[in-house]
This record gives sequence, C-alpha cells and structure tokens, in this order.
Amino acid sequence: MRNNNKTAVAILATSLFLAACGGGDGDGDGTGGTLPPVGSALNAGAGSPTGAQGSCSATTSGVNWDALMTEVCPKLSDYNLFANATDPTAAPTRGGVPYDLSTALFSDYTSKYRFIFVPEGKTVSYNPSEVLDFPVGTVITKTFALPANTAMRGGEELVIETRLLIHRTDGWFALPYYWSSDSDATLAIAGKRLANLTTINNQGQQITFDYSVPKAADCNSCHSIVPDLAGPDDDREQIFLPIGPKARYLNTDYAYADGTVYNQLQYWAEGDLLTGLPSDFQSVEQAPVFDDQVSIPSLSADELNDAARAYLDINCAHCHRAGLTLPVDYAGPAGSSGVQLEYGRDYATDPGAFGVCKTPVAGGKDGYPFDVIPGNPDDSYLLFRMTTVDNRHKMPELARNTEHQEGTALIRSWIDNLPAAGCSTAP
Amino acid sequence: MRHRTKLSKLFTVSALASGLLLAGCGDDGEDGKDGKDGVAGNAGPAVVASTTSGFTITDDAIFVAPNAVDGDDITEALSLALFDLPEDALVVLPRGRFTVTEGIIVNSARGLTVTGYGINETILDFSTSNGDDAFRFQGGNGITVRDLGVYEAPKNGIKTTNVNGIHITHTATVWEGPLESDNGAYGLYPLKSQNVLMENNYAYGSADAGIYVGQSENIVVRNNTAKNNVAGIEIENSSMADVYNNIAVGNSGGILSFDLPGLEKAYGSNVRIFNNQIYANNADNVGAGVVGAVPPGTGVIILAASDVEIYNNQITDNDTTAVAITSYFLIDEDVAGYLVSYGATMADGWSPTVKNVYLHNNTIARNGSAPRGALLAPIVAGYTSSMNSSGMSQTFPAILYDGIGELLSNLGARGIGGFNALVGPEAAADGVNYDPYSPGDLICANSNINGNPAPEYDEVNTGLVYPVDPATATFDGNGNPEAQLLIDQMVNNTYLNCTQPRLAPAVVNFRNTIYGCTGDDLADAACAL
Repeated sequence: MRNNNKTAVAILATSLFLAACGGGDGDGDGTGGTLPPVGSALNAGAGSPTGAQGSCSATTSGVNWDALMTEVCPKLSDYNLFANATDPTAAPTRGGVPYDLSTALFSDYTSKYRFIFVPEGKTVSYNPSEVLDFPVGTVITKTFALPANTAMRGGEELVIETRLLIHRTDGWFALPYYWSSDSDATLAIAGKRLANLTTINNQGQQITFDYSVPKAADCNSCHSIVPDLAGPDDDREQIFLPIGPKARYLNTDYAYADGTVYNQLQYWAEGDLLTGLPSDFQSVEQAPVFDDQVSIPSLSADELNDAARAYLDINCAHCHRAGLTLPVDYAGPAGSSGVQLEYGRDYATDPGAFGVCKTPVAGGKDGYPFDVIPGNPDDSYLLFRMTTVDNRHKMPELARNTEHQEGTALIRSWIDNLPAAGCSTAP
Repeated sequence: MRHRTKLSKLFTVSALASGLLLAGCGDDGEDGKDGKDGVAGNAGPAVVASTTSGFTITDDAIFVAPNAVDGDDITEALSLALFDLPEDALVVLPRGRFTVTEGIIVNSARGLTVTGYGINETILDFSTSNGDDAFRFQGGNGITVRDLGVYEAPKNGIKTTNVNGIHITHTATVWEGPLESDNGAYGLYPLKSQNVLMENNYAYGSADAGIYVGQSENIVVRNNTAKNNVAGIEIENSSMADVYNNIAVGNSGGILSFDLPGLEKAYGSNVRIFNNQIYANNADNVGAGVVGAVPPGTGVIILAASDVEIYNNQITDNDTTAVAITSYFLIDEDVAGYLVSYGATMADGWSPTVKNVYLHNNTIARNGSAPRGALLAPIVAGYTSSMNSSGMSQTFPAILYDGIGELLSNLGARGIGGFNALVGPEAAADGVNYDPYSPGDLICANSNINGNPAPEYDEVNTGLVYPVDPATATFDGNGNPEAQLLIDQMVNNTYLNCTQPRLAPAVVNFRNTIYGCTGDDLADAACAL
C-alpha cells in the first residue's frame, strides 16, 4: 500500500505505448523481450507461454508467462507484468494494453487500472454480447486505488490491491495481491480488511469506510456461471469467466498514453489483437458512459433508462442472470433468485424479472414489500439493498462497504420513472 | 503487515498437500510439528480422534488452527485451508468456540468433508463477521459438513448452491436469544442442489427458515430439530423430497411446503412429510417476504405446492391450525392481475393453485386455541364468531383448506380457465393446467386421528373457506365468489373425503450410497408407514 502521484507517473509511462502502437517493427528495446517483435500487432514482442513449468523466481525480460500459467507466486512482481514493479497502474510490460469500461462495477469509489496481456501470436475473438473470447494465456490485471478526492482521480491515490485473472489451460484462475508495502504486492489468499479509509466524494463530503480485499475464494462469487443441475447424475461444474470486457463496455473511447484517443474495440482490431469485429461497427452494442460526473437530472428518459440498465447489468447481472445469451442450462450464481438484471433482457416482456411487484423470496425486510415498486423507490427493497451496508441485506454482497451515492441516485430515478405497475399504489 | 510471514505461519499442517500453495509460499518451516510430517506413511492414515457423533478423524486430515484456544479468530486459517482443496479432503476445525470475521466461500469442492469435534464442541461465532453467509459452498459434489455449530451468521448459516451431493449432519445453526427480525435468514440452506441429505441437525433462531431446501431435487431431511425459527423446515420449489422423523417446535410455522413464483425452478412436486413431531409452533412471526405471512401457530402449511403427502405426523398444540393448505390467492387475491404479475413464471409452470395434497393418519390434537395472523384475520374472525356455516362460534379448523384455487378452476372460463393460455408447452406436457380439478387433483384428508380426549372431539375441525363446487358457490355483486367458511368436525369426514395414490420415496445418492426409505432407512419404522 502506498501513495503515489499518478500525474507524474503517467508522464513516464509513454514510451512503451509509442513503441507498441506506432506500427514500428524492430523497436524492441525498452522493457520488451529478447525476441524481436513480430509484425505490428499490439502484442508483438510480448512473448508467450512455453508450456513448461514456470518459476516465480525466473528472471524474464518480458512477462513471466510460464509462472502465470502454472504458479501461484507470493509476490506480484514475480510475474513481471509492469515495467516499474512498484507501479501497477501504468506502463505494462511489452504487450500489455490498458482498457476501461464505459460503466463499471462500483468498488468503494476506487479508481481502477486495467491491463490485458495476450500472448504474442494470439488474438481475442469478438462476441456480440458475452465477454470476449480470450485465448489461453491471457492475463488481465486490475488495480484498485482509492483517490483522496473522487473528483480528482489520477491525483493522489492509495494503491490498495491488484487482482489477476489468468486464462490457464484448464480455465480461468484468479489471484488477489495486496499492496502490503510500497515496493510490492503480496499474495492475499485470505483477503485483507482495511479499517477507516477515507475519500472525499464529488459532492465534497468526506466518506469513511472499511475496505475489503476479497479472498481468493470470493472471486467465484461473481466470476462464475453455474450449471442448472438437470438431474441426480449431472456433475457439471461452474465455469469461471471475466465480467467487464464485453463489447458493449469496451465500445468507448480511451485516451492512450501516447495521446491517441480511440475507440477501444477498433484500436484492438486495428492492432491485430481482436478478430471478428463486425465491419458494420454501428451494429456493435454500446453501453452508455456512466461515472460520478454524470448529471442524472440532465438525462433524457431514454438515456436514464439506458444508464440504469447498464449500471444494473455491470453491478448485478454477473450473478443475477439466467438464460438469454448464456450457454444452455447455465445461470449466474443468483440465477435462481428470481431477479435477473441483464442489459439484454426485455423489460416489457417480464417486469417481474427486474423485481417489479415481486415479493422478496429469501429474506426480505419489513417495510419493503416488493423488490421494485415503480414510482416508489423509498419502499423498493432493491434500492434499499443497494444503499444499506448491513451485511444481512446489502447488494452487491462483496466489494461494497459504502453507498455509491451517484449509483443509487441513478437507480432511484429509474424506479421513479418506471411505468406504474400493480403494486405502485401499495402502502 | 508482511503477508509472507503470516502465510508460512499458517501452514502449520504440512498435510495441506496443495503443491500449488506450497509452491507459492515457500517452505513453511514447521514440518514435523506434533510428530506429523505430513508425508503419508505406509500404514495408511491413523485415527487420531473421534467426534461426538462417532466420526473418526485421521492424521492425514487438514487441521485448521489446531492450537487455537477459545475466543481466537481463526478466519485466516479457515480461508486458507478451504481454498483450492485436493479431492476428498478432510478438513478438521478445532475444538472450542472461535471467532470468524469473514464469510467463508468454498468453490467446486469434490468429496470434501468439513468437520468439527461435535455439534457443541466446535462452535464458530460469526457475530462480528464482515461477510453475509457464514459458509457458502458453490458448485462441487459429494460435500459433507458435520459436527460443528455456526452461530450468529449475519445472513445465512450454511448455504450450498449448485452442489450435487450435499450431506449436512450433526450441525447446528443458531441465533441465540429471542427470535428477532434481525436474526439471520436461513440456517441450513441447500439451493439449486441435487442429492441433498440433511440429518441430525439443530436449527434455532432463524428469522426465516431454520432448514430450507430451495429449487433442489432428490432430498432427504430427517432426524433434525428446528426450534424457535419463523419457519422450522421449508421445502420450496423442490421435487422428490422426504421430510421425516424431525421435530419442529416453537417456530411460527413448523413445516412448510411452498411453491413461490418467479424462480428458475418454477415449481416442485412429490414432497412427503411424515412421522414428524410438529408441536407448539406459536412464535410471533418476525419474518419478511412471503414467509412473513405465515400465521403464527401453524403446524404445517402447504402454499401453492402440488403433489404433497402429509402422514403419520403428530401435530399438536399449535395455536392457529394444524395443517393449512392454501393456494397463492390467499397471498395475492388480485386474480385479474396475475397475467401481468406472474405471466412469465406461469408460462414456466408455476401455478397459484394447490393440487393433490393427501393428509392421512396424522394425530391432531389441541390446535386452534388462539388463532391469529394478519393473513387469516377475516377467516379467523368468521370461524370464531357466528359468521360461518355452522352459525355459531367454532374452534378454528385444525385442517384448513382455502378452496378458492379449486373453485376458480372448477368455474372454467368464468374462473381461471383462461390461465391455460399462459402455460408454456413444457409445463403443459408436465400436467400443469387450470382445468376443473380431476380426481387426481383433489385435496384429501382421511384416517387422521383426533387426539383430543373424547368429550372434545368437536375441537378438531376441518374448514373450507370457499366451497369447491360451483353449484354451491355464491357470488357477490361483482361476480366474485364469496367465502362461506364451511366447517365440520374432522371425524365426520364431511370435507376432503377422498384418497390419493401414495407418493414415491425420495432417493438420495451421496457418494454412491443410497440414503432414505429406499436405501439406508429401508428398515426404519417411518418408511413402513
């Protein structure tokens, strides 16, 4: 854990991307591997897993792919994912590409720094609605840093944790690393709880809360789809998946370190990292940008609905999903709950799936007769659950220890503006 | 705050033979502690201890915080031990009462056994936990939890989701003190699971259901005690379930069989509730949601569930009623609104009606002395005043059937026959319909025993809120059926006088052993009833 000044670091972080994105070949210095880069792909020169047993103590000039594929290393730096091992927020080792999501999961107001590392010679395949199809060897890093002031992200921030998603030959694997010192992050299988962190939100209020670094075992709570066991002999297992990097959330501009501002999907496609992107780019699904700067009262009715649906999707639908574009007979971990909040679900067909006039099944709370009461957010259990930090009721279950005021304001407004339903006049 | 040292210190038991973690964390430096070097010897594992239920613990087990003393926080050791387990692992929790400050999640475990030293010997106190569920087992198969107690979970006690093969035995989930709304939700909570065996457990103080099986199939719940919960034992949207030899006492409702709308598994079937002792379930209902509507003082309640057999139970001393059998129309009476509110789930086969419930050979005594609950308020008022079919105040029915779903079905197009258009093809093929009730759909009660002393026979009554025969139905000015509050002594067999075929026993296959009335309990007296 340490403080750093992101602005200064960002200036230092450009060289790699200039090399990687400029289409140059043979510009193999910097932090790249000893292999000469092949072609102009974004991951040219990144290297790739050899298939051999890895070692956490191996010295590699590029990403320590073999360790990523086989080892649980005690220190984040063992994997050599960042040019500066003390800074996971910038300057990935050769081949790493930063990305952002247009609407993101709320994680206690932290800033998130995401990078994707795809082995050299491999590409990501497009998927219109599910997470993109990442080849074996892919590594995703996400670093969580709490800004001193949410209105000034990238300024003074407390770097707390870095999570890895690694696509191994037997499936995705997740590891949490906690920045226990300024110099490195250490494996935190059992998680970590940090008391009394503070930030100042966009309204200028100081917020204090406990932050929890999830346990390794917690990752599956959100990152899996589970089989709908079809009978006594059905032994299918849950499948671990990334959540955020779906086309609709990547379909937005990103300001790359070299100053290029470009749509991420097109950037990946033109950088030979992504295949199958439709030539009719207008057909690619796009979730709106929602962040703490968005003025909710200024949104049109359609924009409000779209923003709320994207927010519910990215914050809830990794668990609260069933059917639609999932593999047959799989659902999210809360697929059985009766509330399904996917971006692609048609509201008019089944408002009950959004909790409208639905009596809570498991639990519930006196004074909140239905999950969603159109026109009455105050008595809607769904909004209460997104607001409270009481463990008995709070949603999402993990990684939220304070209210996302901007997010709940959005959902409040959405519920207020839903068409009246049978329970709307309920006391 | 250097994790490296903490990690190595925690891996005191080298039998945690996860090469993965050991590789990650380096040599723990403590091999050989307590004379165990973790390398399997040639003689095979030796027995080192036995739990109070007689389960043997061998030296090849993974011992979590073996040297912990009462009051210690064992969260980190527990989290580490239950991450990335080898197949068929035996994980042993220490003897004593310990604090756990996070929810413990176990993923895709295969053949795992988690044991303490006994239901009262190993107690994990989650009262200061920052998590929600105490334990959650997600995915996996052949998982056993035994010989421990989980206290004061912020939300659910032990939840298992999408597990094929879950055996919970000699395990307690407890919220101490009075039953209050902020006690936890479910105690023992298998959800979307197959081959569920729950036995010899103790569930106390849940503000929802003490033992709850939801959206699961092939279930045996036996020899448990559920006390002082809102719902004692609840089987919800589940199929092939046997609930027998249990004690349900001091709950608001003793044993529940529910089908609730809007769930992925839209409806259950074939639930047998037999040879249970269901008495004095008179706690105030502090619950929320649908379970919050259960009238305090209810022995058994069947809500919108079909194919249920209730037999040879002792159902006594419940203040409101022994057995309530009701459609969902008692919860939501807005019949015209069902299309909008429940159309999608009705397409999947959920139905507000209740069909084929067979109640026989139960001993029923001393129920109905103080009926109450907002759900039944007008019904209670009618039966306990002269406003019922007998024209005089009656002891509230020990067997209460709402009848409205059956009447509306029997009314055809004038009733809910139109709901047939909502039923999807798969559900229709499975027999879901809104036709007039056929003989196989009927609610039947016979051969039940009035356990009251002879002069008080008239205190065990059967009541029908609505007549089920359109010919005797009456209608208000809006054409809606009127409640008639029919009542007569149970022994007269005036109402519900029919029989149904017996239901099939549930079969649980847990790690290739068959449990239940076709398996290990083949010779049990209850299974011969």
